[in-house]
Amino acid sequence: MSTNSPNNSTLTISPFVRGQKKKDFYATPPNVLLPHQSSNSKMFSTPSSQNSSLKFETGLAEDPPLTQADRLRLWRHDAFFQHHYTTAEYVGDKVLSLTNDPNDAFWLAQIYYATGNYIGARTLLMGPDFEDSIACRYLAGQCLIKLEEWDEALDIIGDVNPFKTDHSTNKNLDGGIKLEASMCYLRGVIFSRQNDFERAKECFQEAVLVDAKCFEAFDELIKNNLLTPKEEWSLLNSLHYEDADINGDLVKLLYTTRLNKYVNMPSFEEAESRLREEYNLGNNADILLSRANLLFVQCKFQQCLLICEELMERNSTNFSAIPLYLSCLHELGGKNKLFLIAHELADNHPNHHVTWLAIGIYYFSIKKIGEARAFFSKASTVSPNFGPAWIGFAHTFAAESEHEQAISAYATASRLFPGSHLPNMFLGMQYLQMNNLSLADEYLSSAFSICPNDPLLLNELGVVYYHRGSLENAEQYFLRAVTAAKNLSADSKVWTSVNSNLGHVYRRMDMYGKALQCFKKVLKVSNRDVNTYTALGLVYLKMRDLTQAIEVLHTALGISSTNRVASDLLKRALEQGSGDSKDFFGKTERLGRLVQQPVGGLVTETPLNRNKGNRISSSGVNSEYAIDVMVDNLKKGAESSDEEDVMEIESD
Amino acid sequence: MDFEQRNELTETLRLSVDCLRDLNLYNATKWCSEALTGLRPLTNQEAHSVYLRSKNPQRGNLPEVLPELSQQEEMLLFLERDKITLAQSYFNTKEFARSAHVLKDCKSAKGLFVRLYSTFLNGEKIKGDQGEGILTGKDGVAPNPKVSEISGELEAYCSADRLTDPFLLYLYGVIQMKQGDISQARESLYRSLVHFPYNWSCWEQLGSTFKTFDEALTMIERFEKNHRFSSSRNYGTMLLFFKVFINQSFFQQSEDVYQDIEFLLEIFPNFSFLKIQKALISYNSMDYPTAEHAFDDVLVNDPFRLDDLDAFSNILYVMEKKSKLAFLAQFASAIDKFRPETCCIVANYYSLKFQHEKAIMYYKRALSLNKNCLSAWTLMGHEFVELKNSHAAIESYRRAVDTNNKDFRAWYGLGQAYEVLDMHLYSLYYYQRACALKPQDQRMWQALANCYERLGGAEESIKAYKKALAISEADSNILYKIAMLYESLNDVKNSVVYMKLTLAEEVNEGVSDETAKARLWLAKFEAANNNWPMVYRYASEMNEGSAHDIEEARTLAREARVKMKSS
Repeated sequence: MSTNSPNNSTLTISPFVRGQKKKDFYATPPNVLLPHQSSNSKMFSTPSSQNSSLKFETGLAEDPPLTQADRLRLWRHDAFFQHHYTTAEYVGDKVLSLTNDPNDAFWLAQIYYATGNYIGARTLLMGPDFEDSIACRYLAGQCLIKLEEWDEALDIIGDVNPFKTDHSTNKNLDGGIKLEASMCYLRGVIFSRQNDFERAKECFQEAVLVDAKCFEAFDELIKNNLLTPKEEWSLLNSLHYEDADINGDLVKLLYTTRLNKYVNMPSFEEAESRLREEYNLGNNADILLSRANLLFVQCKFQQCLLICEELMERNSTNFSAIPLYLSCLHELGGKNKLFLIAHELADNHPNHHVTWLAIGIYYFSIKKIGEARAFFSKASTVSPNFGPAWIGFAHTFAAESEHEQAISAYATASRLFPGSHLPNMFLGMQYLQMNNLSLADEYLSSAFSICPNDPLLLNELGVVYYHRGSLENAEQYFLRAVTAAKNLSADSKVWTSVNSNLGHVYRRMDMYGKALQCFKKVLKVSNRDVNTYTALGLVYLKMRDLTQAIEVLHTALGISSTNRVASDLLKRALEQGSGDSKDFFGKTERLGRLVQQPVGGLVTETPLNRNKGNRISSSGVNSEYAIDVMVDNLKKGAESSDEEDVMEIESD
Repeated sequence: MDFEQRNELTETLRLSVDCLRDLNLYNATKWCSEALTGLRPLTNQEAHSVYLRSKNPQRGNLPEVLPELSQQEEMLLFLERDKITLAQSYFNTKEFARSAHVLKDCKSAKGLFVRLYSTFLNGEKIKGDQGEGILTGKDGVAPNPKVSEISGELEAYCSADRLTDPFLLYLYGVIQMKQGDISQARESLYRSLVHFPYNWSCWEQLGSTFKTFDEALTMIERFEKNHRFSSSRNYGTMLLFFKVFINQSFFQQSEDVYQDIEFLLEIFPNFSFLKIQKALISYNSMDYPTAEHAFDDVLVNDPFRLDDLDAFSNILYVMEKKSKLAFLAQFASAIDKFRPETCCIVANYYSLKFQHEKAIMYYKRALSLNKNCLSAWTLMGHEFVELKNSHAAIESYRRAVDTNNKDFRAWYGLGQAYEVLDMHLYSLYYYQRACALKPQDQRMWQALANCYERLGGAEESIKAYKKALAISEADSNILYKIAMLYESLNDVKNSVVYMKLTLAEEVNEGVSDETAKARLWLAKFEAANNNWPMVYRYASEMNEGSAHDIEEARTLAREARVKMKSS
């Protein structure tokens, strides 16, 4: 096996090899690999039988004397790791001049790279002398990416994997990450920066398949939701964990906890408990974070917040946890904490995109939409692939009912994360508000195919069916939403709007008892809501329980005396009620005799029953009023959920 | 009540006071200790024997006031006692959030109660701080932000094991009331009282769940059927207090109530609460002098008591005792200027002097001191009516019925205010509510009848007027109205009957506009029937009324004379 093989990592060409037996940890062992057998200066040192890491020990035992170049390499290396870059550069340059070895060029370039001298590194690596070294090509690619020279980088790395073989045969034995995998990853990065997400996804997938240890690529895939939930699971199952030798099982478990939390919950639970019990990793930050993610998906925000706070306490720069923490705070109305964390981040990490996201969310939660938009947009400028910022940016438009702009921003987000249901759901909600039912349905359904458990999504789907007059379907969705929302604190807007929407469905299905139950449930939580009282009044009216209807409608008007729907319904109720006065006299006499007058035609007279289906066709003053009533009632669902999407901000 | 029984009652109340004080239920503690000191004083001999007995306490002789704790609960309480003490000391310094935080991991029922109670009060405080002054845009909109949290915890606790702690049940009831779940609240409060009936705040809360007297009666019957209340004398006494209180708040004035009060006064001769209840019942039955006298009596024995004095000022207001009201206002201000009761008294005083703006200012002050000040909302509504500001009046009345839905004055006020705005359908509903609360009040029925008339419901109107007649002495005004209504229905026969009844009232009331009009009407009616002698009789007796009417009567009389001669 050659050292210049895509199946090796840079460990193979490193002048020091770690993990030697019983040696002083800092004592760098001599590199047995580099002594010159170089008959050939162009091709890097030919493989020897000592090449494999397994043979290091025997090689060491022989302890050949070190050459002058080896000594210099050790000096260079140590200086590099002690961050004495000037020394390292100086010595490295001398070694390279002495040997003209591609590996020495690689290490000198590393030093340039570490000091930010990408152009220097590129010039060095791309000379014709080192073209053949894979490590050098890889590093050149890195440099070009840093320089944002995408096309040139692709030229160097190749736009498809040049080493494509059957991965399982070529095992990497030195314990590092296969350069082939790393190059695939680089290719993915380039494609995603070129907005070619489909190819980027393929490259990342290829990278992990080549070497399961290429976490960078795996992280990109998961973090950005590039895969749908099902694809994620099938990827997980097709990885070659033997790449990680004895750690294969551990890696598999760790990766399992990173996957989406929508499907395959038992596997996740099992992986988590095994990590806790067998590996004692239960308290590791990443395991806790994945638990927090799960809690967030299950809408258990309070518990999620507790974990996030613990994580933040341990390490306040845990950038993977911060977005989740921010969403929790937003969800639970922790404006003050948002303020604090935004300030801390701005002081400590002024250039990090999460900082700007935090500031944006803070402004968004205190309803300063303009400022929020500016900061979200700044976050997405700093890191164009950062989805939460895009969603936040879109929310600012949605909050001001700028549907078109909101839609284009959501659409960008949905292109960035094809595996997340949020952008599609929000798109659907925008179309719903624009009354474009078919598009709304399409987007919501595609969100539904990704995540079937989000109460907000189920609510919106229910609203779509309600608008379409398909009450049975609406009922089904609302019922599912109620189940999904049972973990939500009853104060939350989703919970109330789901329940009151269900109430509206039952009302239109003429199942008054159930409708009453729903509305009463809502009232228990927010007893100052005019719309709920009005709806309740309408149900009582339809049930011909005039006394109750009148009372409830009066309460509604007591809260908001200008509510047109309530006052009109009350007028009807009173007109009916005054004809029903015998009832009153009967009661005051306490004869226990309830005179029930048949109130014919009442049901047909209420405005809500009239031409539900074809609202557009109806015209004229009366029917216009009917629309008003209906829209009012219906908007409730849409409106409250509209405010809700604030809450749902970047829950990915 | 013999000595032993009295002794047992004393011990029970004493233990209850300890229990209530231990849980920081201040008002209930106050009530209970007042009751304790309101008992008939001991004779010297009795006092001596009680003293001796206390020297050699016999264990087991003490009555049980609380249900026994389970062993597990006792253990928990033992372990958490220091934390609970700490929490209570924070509670006493009004640091409610802090108090709740101390107990965040406590499991015992007492710990839970103190924690949730603190949380509740914390929420009330937040809610109060959010208000922006009385009758402004956001006033009263904000709910207590902690309610659903507390309700969730109690629900969870409830499902874990059957909730039997009377105080947690009480708190649960209060929370359910806040959530508008009246029937559940009633159930919780009932269960709380069955376990511990000496918590007067709980009885009061239970009283506020009733919308009608019937509902209250049903609940009282339920208590009477409960074996604890039928078997234990002390339980029975508490129920009797409740009965009196309910009758008072529903404006009932039956013989039974007076008997109950007298019975209780025998046991508690010095209990101001009872005397006030008695005074309020007199006030409700419009027996103002008796009520005034009762209040005077309370003030002599307990001169610094401001509770309920706003009712006293209402009495003085109705009796138009301006100087005494002024005295009361000064007196109350000297005790405490910033008690809602004081502010109400002062406001009443200004109202009597027609300084309505000033009165409103004081009512507002009373309300900012206590948003739930029962009478201030209603009275402020009256002031707004005086100032012809119907919308503000409606808002005030509405808030009044929100706080206390048994206040017929506020319902009536709403009716009147809407009548001014020509919204008779609305008026009708509110008059109905008022009438249902006070069916023994003629004014309610008259207002209702008037309203029906405006809405063109002549038959209902007649019915309502007849109701009014049935509960008061005959009134020519009402009789004439009925007669006219019958006329509008073309029911001449009844119309005649009522016109004659109106006329007959002249004997009792003397001649009035209505009797004069009735006489003229009858004269015209007889003329139409060619019954000329009767025409002559009616017309010639017509001496009063408007000039036009008298002129018309004379013409009729002349015509009758001619006809009679010609026939």
